[in-house]
Amino acid sequence: MYKKFLQLTKNLTVSLEKGLNFLTTQENNPLYFHGALPLYTFWFLIFSGIMLWMYYIPTLDRAWTSVNYITSLPVFLKDAHGQLLLKNGIPVVNAISPATGIPYGAVVRGIHRWGAAAMMITTILHMLRVYFTDRHRSWRWLPWVSGVMLLMFVLFVGITGYLLVWDARAYSLVVSTQAWLAAVPLIGQWLSTFFIGGDAIRDFTLTRFFFFHIGGATFIFWLIWMHFIRLNEPVVTPSRAVNFLTLGFILVAAGVYPAVNVTNELIAQHPVLAVDKAFIASDAPAQIGNLVAVIRYDAWYLFPYYLMEKVGVNWTWIILGFAAILLLVAPFYPKDRRDNIAEVIEAKCTGCTFCSLDCPFEAITMQERAPGSKFKLIAVVFAPRCSECGICVGACPFQAIELPNTHSKTIEADVLALLKTGAQ
Amino acid sequence: MSELPPIVPAEKKRRVIVGFVCERSIPIHDMLDAHKALTDDPETKIIILPCSGMVKPTQMELALANGADATFVCGCAMNDCHYRTGNIMIRERLEGQRNPKLRKSTDKRKVGMFFFTMKDKRPFLEALAQFKASTENL
Repeated sequence: MYKKFLQLTKNLTVSLEKGLNFLTTQENNPLYFHGALPLYTFWFLIFSGIMLWMYYIPTLDRAWTSVNYITSLPVFLKDAHGQLLLKNGIPVVNAISPATGIPYGAVVRGIHRWGAAAMMITTILHMLRVYFTDRHRSWRWLPWVSGVMLLMFVLFVGITGYLLVWDARAYSLVVSTQAWLAAVPLIGQWLSTFFIGGDAIRDFTLTRFFFFHIGGATFIFWLIWMHFIRLNEPVVTPSRAVNFLTLGFILVAAGVYPAVNVTNELIAQHPVLAVDKAFIASDAPAQIGNLVAVIRYDAWYLFPYYLMEKVGVNWTWIILGFAAILLLVAPFYPKDRRDNIAEVIEAKCTGCTFCSLDCPFEAITMQERAPGSKFKLIAVVFAPRCSECGICVGACPFQAIELPNTHSKTIEADVLALLKTGAQ
Repeated sequence: MSELPPIVPAEKKRRVIVGFVCERSIPIHDMLDAHKALTDDPETKIIILPCSGMVKPTQMELALANGADATFVCGCAMNDCHYRTGNIMIRERLEGQRNPKLRKSTDKRKVGMFFFTMKDKRPFLEALAQFKASTENL
């Protein structure tokens, strides 16, 4: 039943991709680079994040101001007279100067913001694609489990990014998070205190959020290493055309909707900015004790808070916890019959390493033979990692590694038999 | 004067093509008759393998040396091998970029490569027909 479901999802996925192949060709179909795209978008976040880091000040009274300083000149257009314009056509009174803001700062922050959305979207796309094509089970459990952890950490780092702006929404999110953590039995109060770095929100709170954001992003690199550790020659970058397409999407989005801080006073002066606020802009500065009446939820990162508002903190724990457990056990069910695992024929193995180099799942290692042996090395198959694909068999020039149920000798006998019947 | 016998065109020689097909690429299990020939093209005989990366170039040489008019391998769509790299491996082996390679003496015009998804039965048959036509007078 479950396998039939996976077969159905695979059929649907392949049909969708086949349609896209007509437009993009197999070589440039973005859906075939679903694994490389999240990593590619992560680089945008790293580089734009380092640029933002140069000006960000993680204290209660300076955080919003420093972000505002970075983005107060959302300017990259000029009119016919050389007058600088906001992207909505509003003239800028002050010309670009370090005293009033950072040139293109809003665009860089926009790249960070849209890059974050792109990373979450591509991560979810990658996960769905892997699941729907049944490429998450059995010997692939480590990439899947590390992928689930990556998803969680991308979410965590994204949420902490929202807090760093320290606008009215960020304060409301912190209060919600404290309530959420406090609901954990026994250690809830401690978690809540640990989260804000003390018994009340103060400067250390933002320093801690900054650590969560940067430290979390650094930990993502370690998880990516775990994700790749059992993959031979992982695809880490999409094709050139897909690269440019992604780059174009993020740059255009950041140019058209750069990330800015928009206060209600500004909207009163320029109503057109309300559109920005609805999409991507931050609120007015946070004030301790002042919760926003309605939190603007971001679909990719703030859905846990939406859930909290709708069903309460306890049910949010239950729903998210249940989802996490389902994802973590998914690669272990259903179990496949594994009776065609590669076997090395010791007498024929010359230790040439071809099979080990070509194995897509790092299931073959080369080990030293006993002293005095004719050859120095021998291939050894680690059965739990073997996918029974036979790529090692194709790589071996000496017929020294075989799949027991699909033996090379049988294939060759079949070829000769087919030729015999075909000629008649 | 006795009548000349009518000119009867010589019967077209029956060709044999041997294909090595990955079972996760085209829907090959539904495309064969009882003699492991394609129902749409009885001249093409098929060996089914778990992955195109399992094909040894020597097996294709064996087919050619024993009477096959041409041989080909068919794997998953490029960049989408179920086992990640099988189609890339066999392509590189047949193009001489990865060991083990085809022998230099092998007529590479008689060796074909196709990469299709499980929904690509028709495009595969079209590509096969083209390949067969290109090898007809070799």
